[in-house]
Amino acid sequence: MGQITLRGIRKSFSGVDVIHGIDLTIADGELAVFVGPSGCGKSTLLRMIAGLDRPTTGTIEIDGQDVTRTSAAERGLAMVFQSYALYPHMTVRQNLSFGLENTRMPKNDITARVDDAGRMLEIMDLMDRRPTQLSGGQRQRVAIGRAIVRNPTAFLLDEPLSNLDAELRGSMRAELAGLHDRLKTTMIYVTHDQIEAMTLADKIVVLRKGVIEQVDTPLGLYNRPQNLFVAGFIGAPNMNFFNAVAVDGQAELPGGLRVAVPGNGPVTIGIRPQMLHLADPDAPALTGTIRLIEALGAETVVHAAAADGTAMVVVLSGQPALRTGETIRLAFDPDALHVFGADGQRLD
Amino acid sequence: MSKVMGFLTARRGHGGRWHWTDVVTWVWLIGGTIIMFGPALWLISSSFKGPAQLAEFPPTLLPYVQELAVVDGYDDPLPLFTATLEDGTTQVLAEVRRVGTNAQMVDPANPETRIDVNIADRTPVRQIGLATDNYVAPLVANDFVRYLWNSVFVTMMATIITLLTNSMAAFALSKYDFRGRNAVMLLIVGTLMVPLSVILVPLYSVVNATGLLNSLWGVILPTVATPTGVFLLRQYMLTIPDELLEAARMDHASEWQIYWRIVLPLAAPALAVLAIFSVVWRWNDFLWPLIVLSRRELYTLQVGLNTYAGELNVQWHYILAMTVVTMIPVVLVFLFLQRFITTGIAGSGIK
Repeated sequence: MGQITLRGIRKSFSGVDVIHGIDLTIADGELAVFVGPSGCGKSTLLRMIAGLDRPTTGTIEIDGQDVTRTSAAERGLAMVFQSYALYPHMTVRQNLSFGLENTRMPKNDITARVDDAGRMLEIMDLMDRRPTQLSGGQRQRVAIGRAIVRNPTAFLLDEPLSNLDAELRGSMRAELAGLHDRLKTTMIYVTHDQIEAMTLADKIVVLRKGVIEQVDTPLGLYNRPQNLFVAGFIGAPNMNFFNAVAVDGQAELPGGLRVAVPGNGPVTIGIRPQMLHLADPDAPALTGTIRLIEALGAETVVHAAAADGTAMVVVLSGQPALRTGETIRLAFDPDALHVFGADGQRLD
Repeated sequence: MSKVMGFLTARRGHGGRWHWTDVVTWVWLIGGTIIMFGPALWLISSSFKGPAQLAEFPPTLLPYVQELAVVDGYDDPLPLFTATLEDGTTQVLAEVRRVGTNAQMVDPANPETRIDVNIADRTPVRQIGLATDNYVAPLVANDFVRYLWNSVFVTMMATIITLLTNSMAAFALSKYDFRGRNAVMLLIVGTLMVPLSVILVPLYSVVNATGLLNSLWGVILPTVATPTGVFLLRQYMLTIPDELLEAARMDHASEWQIYWRIVLPLAAPALAVLAIFSVVWRWNDFLWPLIVLSRRELYTLQVGLNTYAGELNVQWHYILAMTVVTMIPVVLVFLFLQRFITTGIAGSGIK
């Protein structure tokens, strides 16, 4: 069991509010990812769940029990820190057993548990080393091992991969996903990297300035972003936005192309760079002047300026014959448009 | 060996020539060595000289002892001199006694004949030797072993308690956020400005009132809380990442366990520094033990040393020898603990 419920969580540090009322439920066995730009409060939220910080108001429940006032140790959670926070003066084995020794577990059980975790994470041959003698990836494994041996109700991971190089990050990401499949334990994962969020999560919680912007599955977020922030945050390169005015269900994109939109008044029309493709010569098209071409081989990223000067990015497949300064004519499927009202919320 | 020679003969000038900085370096280093190390060597060498030799002018660099010879007809061994006789020849003679400016001497090979020699015409036969009696007499006859034990006890206990209490204070002041933390820290550091002589009398009253007068604990307890130690340890503990403590808290560790098993081992380099300081302070303490201890069997070494400096007569040969004895433990502490400082085991596992 490991259902975590947050109700009306607020947090202020010396008078400055950083979390403005969060309500959230994470189901048992779910891998939830908190994602958002730096300073959005995602780590603070995780620390409050861990019990390292107290919320100013609001309650935290684990499996229906109010643990808001319970100490970190009593909550039965395990945390993997961004810096790993391995005890530098202890060997790997001592690092893993420290938490179990504190619960006065018999020595044999400790050895068995530590060996299990060591085998699972393939760190058996590192057991007698000190953390300083380990590489970044090995330290990461030990940090995860220290969480696993405790057999916690839920894992809390605070940007666990941010100290690794790109290649290692990819393989560790896959291992974490595999680990979650095997353990079936609730995990809360904090990251600012949307690729980690998209690949790992059962559920993504997008945060900004201490407020939840949207909670959904990765593809749900990608396909139906509820507001401009989520639309701009999820997906790379970022979504293109055009300002327009909707009149009678019609709005005009720069260059005169008209599209059907819900609502009336000023709207923002968004379209993902991958949804644009080169238009047929005679068909109506969104036009722009090419500023920069990034040929990546399998795809070509074109930076262009629309008729009114709005910057847009287009990802075209293959290697189309284009040159800087030329006019590019683009077409798209009307279903791929995302329309947001003046308040930044999605219009449907 | 060739490496050492290479290092020593290395010159900044091209082609092994002397550059002026080479000259300055050598002068500086050799001069520094003489200034720093010279007095200690001089002390050790002098501690093996007899009282007469210490009073000699000009002083000799090395300790000498006069040779003695057993002569038939005399119970005690007699000191040997090289004497210049009236006919201008020199001969090694043993002195029986001195009368005014004349010395009555005998030839050890022919003890029946007395020879009178002016004391200006004889020089003692000496060879390099150690007046070990300087050491043996205080250690065996006097109470110096007792003093040594008292000093060791005071130093050990005071250092252990100092390390324990100061590290606890430093832990609280560095890792807990509470109202008035900085005020407490300022207060502690502020006491650095109060010299011992100012609080001597009130401290004496307190020690007297608590019945600690004439007890080694009366020497130990007032000294264990040192602002320097708290400050030193706190500054070091500030560099231990809070995440380690949080990780330990998630690991079910109590606050005591965090202190004992995480913070203390990681603060070992700072603790070693404080241990060295504390040992040297307590070992060299003179004024406070002198005030608290008035019974001879409780004297520490420093107070004991003081008994050799009387109002009319200073027994330099004993003072010098026992000073060497008092130096030994401090030197040993430095030898063993300085490795701790330089290696420093906290290569903190945090990137």
